[in-house]
Amino acid sequence: MNTITVSAKDNPAGHPLPQLRGGQLSWQGRFEAMASPCEILLDGVNRRDAEQALAFAARETWRLERTFSRYVSGNPVDRINRGKGEPVTVDDEMALMLDYAAQCHDLSDGRFDITSGVLRRAWRFDGSSHLPEQEETDALLDLVGWDKLSWQRPQLILPEGMEIDFGGIGKEYAVDRVLLDLKQSLPEGSSVLVNFGGDLACSGPRTSGKAWIVGVEDHQKLSGRSGTLSLYCGALATSGDSRRYLLKNGVRYSHILDPRTGWPVPDAPHSVTVAAPTCTLAGMLATFAMLEGAEAEHFLEQQDVQFWVQR
Amino acid sequence: MQLIDHSNNSKSKTVGRALAAATCALLGVHATGSLAKGQPGEWDVETALLVYSETDDRVQAAEPVISATRNFDGERKLNLKLVADTLTGASPSGATPSALPQTYTSPSGNGSYEIAPGEAPLDDTFKDTRVAVSANWEAPINRDYAYSVGAYGSKEYDYLSTAVNASLSRYLNNKNTTLTGGLSLGVDLVDPVGGAPVGLSRMPLNNNKSQADFDQEFAATRDSDDTKTMVDALFGVTQVINRQTLMQFNYGISYSSGYLTDPYKILSVIDDASGSNYGGNLVGGDGNPVYLYEQRPDTRLKHSLYWQTKYMLGNGDVMDGSYRFMIDDWGITSHTLDLKYRWQLGKSYLEPHFRYYLQSEADFYKRYLTASEYNSGAPVMTDASADYRLGEMTGLTFGAKWGYRFDDDRELAIRAEYLIQTNDGDQGFGSLASQDLYPDTNAMWLQLSYSF
Repeated sequence: MNTITVSAKDNPAGHPLPQLRGGQLSWQGRFEAMASPCEILLDGVNRRDAEQALAFAARETWRLERTFSRYVSGNPVDRINRGKGEPVTVDDEMALMLDYAAQCHDLSDGRFDITSGVLRRAWRFDGSSHLPEQEETDALLDLVGWDKLSWQRPQLILPEGMEIDFGGIGKEYAVDRVLLDLKQSLPEGSSVLVNFGGDLACSGPRTSGKAWIVGVEDHQKLSGRSGTLSLYCGALATSGDSRRYLLKNGVRYSHILDPRTGWPVPDAPHSVTVAAPTCTLAGMLATFAMLEGAEAEHFLEQQDVQFWVQR
Repeated sequence: MQLIDHSNNSKSKTVGRALAAATCALLGVHATGSLAKGQPGEWDVETALLVYSETDDRVQAAEPVISATRNFDGERKLNLKLVADTLTGASPSGATPSALPQTYTSPSGNGSYEIAPGEAPLDDTFKDTRVAVSANWEAPINRDYAYSVGAYGSKEYDYLSTAVNASLSRYLNNKNTTLTGGLSLGVDLVDPVGGAPVGLSRMPLNNNKSQADFDQEFAATRDSDDTKTMVDALFGVTQVINRQTLMQFNYGISYSSGYLTDPYKILSVIDDASGSNYGGNLVGGDGNPVYLYEQRPDTRLKHSLYWQTKYMLGNGDVMDGSYRFMIDDWGITSHTLDLKYRWQLGKSYLEPHFRYYLQSEADFYKRYLTASEYNSGAPVMTDASADYRLGEMTGLTFGAKWGYRFDDDRELAIRAEYLIQTNDGDQGFGSLASQDLYPDTNAMWLQLSYSF
C-alpha cells in the first residue's frame, strides 16, 4: 500500500491522503469525501497511471465537495444561500446543476426540491418519537419551494431565509464526473469502477470480461449473496437510510420529506437501489421512487430498470 | 379505473425518459444502452450448423448445434447444449486393396459387400445418428475460488456415452493468475451391430458354405456388448502477462479401460510365402481370403501438454497460437500447432486459421498382417489394428472464419476449412506393393453460426 501525495491546495478540507493498493494491472484506491469512503478500482493500468488516476479522482471529488457542500463558507452554494434576495451570478457548472434541479422539480410534480432542506430544522430523525408541531412545519413551508425563487441563467435570486442544498444529487454526480474523466484519461482497454459510499458506476466489465464484485454492507438482500454485488456495466445508487426515522404510536415516519406538506412521505420504503446507465440517473430514480411512497415499486416497474426495494 | 391506471403508467414512463435526458444534459453524455451480452438475467443462445464432407464419397456429416447460456448474476452461469449428428457414407475398413475383387461380411452378419480390384476397402454400411446433450454449471465460491460441475450424455445406435465432470479454480494476484484442477469420469456402453467381434478372430465369409455353417461360424466370433470407462484429470494455469497477452498451460492425463477396440475395423492377412500369391490375400482352408477383426489393448494412458498464447494488438486484432503435445502408452505421440489471426474490420472480422498435425503410429498398428504373423489362426501378437487413425499421419488444415456483429448481442459467422491428411508406413511386398495402401483423406467443412 502506498500513499498518494495531493497538495494542500487541492485538499482544502484536510482529508487523509489517498491510499493505493494492488499490483500487476489491478488496483484499489481509497480516500474519503462527502462523509463517505470513496473507492476507485482500476483494471489494466500500470502503477504510474493508477497513481495519477487516484490523485486526479481525489482532487476532483474534493473540488466537487467544496463546490456543492452547504457547509463551506464562501463557496457557490453559500454565496447563493447568503444572497439575501439579491441576484447571484453562477458559473456554468452550477448553472447545469440548477437546470437539472429545475427539471427534477418539474418532473416530480414538486416533490423533489433542492430548497426543502430547511424542513430539517423541524425534523430530527433520531429514532425518537418526537414529532414537530403542525404550526412549526407550516411556518417552514413558507421557505420551501423551487417556484418561489427566480432562476434565469446565469442569475439566481433566492428569497431571504431560503436555502438550497445539493445533498440529494452531489455524490452521484461526483461518481459520474470522476468516472467520465477517468475513462477519457486512462489508456484504451482499461476498466474502472468508482464507488462513493455504495453509489457506484463502472466503465464496463473488468478487463477479464468478468463483472466487478462490490461489497455492499447495507443491502445484503440485493443479490441473495451476503454483502457482494456484481456489476457488468452502468451504475447503481441507493436512496434511503433505514436508521433515520421517527416512530410514534406504531407509525414509522421516514426521513423522506414531501416539500409540499412539510411531512414525511407516507409508506416510503426503507431504501431503494436502482441500476441505470449513470449513477446520477440511478440516484434520481431511487429518490423519485422514495417520494412515491407506497407507489415506489410501481413507479420503478415503469422505468425498465433493475431495482431493489427494502421495506 | 383501468383508464386511470393506464395514464399513470404512461406518465411514469415519460418521467423516467425525461429524467434520463436531463441527466445526460447534466453530465454532457449521450444515453447509452445498459444491457449487453453477458448481462445477468438473459439467455445467450448460439446456434450452428456444421456440414462435413470427405472426398471420394466417404463420410458426410451434418451437425446442428444449439447452445444456451443463462447468466444469473455475472458469475453464476448455466449452459445447456444439444448436438445432433447425422453421419452417412463409407469409412476405410482397414483391409488392404487387392488386384482381385474382394467380398466382406457386413458387421451384422446378414449380408456382404464387394470391393472392386484396386479400390480402397470401405465399409459403406457406416451410417449413424448421434444426439448429445450436456449441462454445465459454474459459480464462484468466494472471491478466490470458483467451481464448475457438468454432465454429458450421448446416444447413437450402437453406443451410449455418459460422463460427469467437476473443476475447481483458484484466483491469485488479483485474478491475473488462475489455477484450475478438473476431473471427469465417463462410462460408455458399446453395443455393436451384430455384437462385438472377438479380437483377431477371422471374419466369417459365406462363400462356399451353407447358411447354417456360416451362422455357426459367425456366432463363434461374437462377444456380447461391452463397456469402457474413462478418467480424465486436468491441471491448468492461466496467466495474464500484460494488458495484451494471455497465456495458458494445461497438463492432462487420461486413462481409459475396457473395450477400446473398433468393432467394425479389420485387417487383411497377406500371403508372404513365395509363389504366385506372394503379396496377395492369404486364402484360408474354406477357399476364402483371410481377414481378421482388429484388437486393441484394453487400457490406454494418455498425457498431454497444451500451451496457448493470445495476443491483442493495439488495433484490436487478435493473434492466437497454441501447441499441444500428446503421448500415450500405445506408442503414439502427436504434435498439434494451431494458429489464428483475427482481423477486426469494423463490425465484421476475418480470421484465417492454420493447423498442422503430426502423429506417430501405435506400437500395434499394422497396415496388414503377414501369413507368418497370422500363424494359421494363432497370431503371434495379441493386439493389431489397421485403423488409419492409429497410423503415421500428417494433417494440414487451412480455413477462415468471417463474422459480423450486428450489435452487442447478435453475431453471424461462417467458417470454412479444408483438411489434407496423408498417411504413411509399410509399403507392402509382392503384388501388394502396387496397391495404394495410404490414400490421402481430403475433407472440407462449412459451419454457419448465429448467436443472439
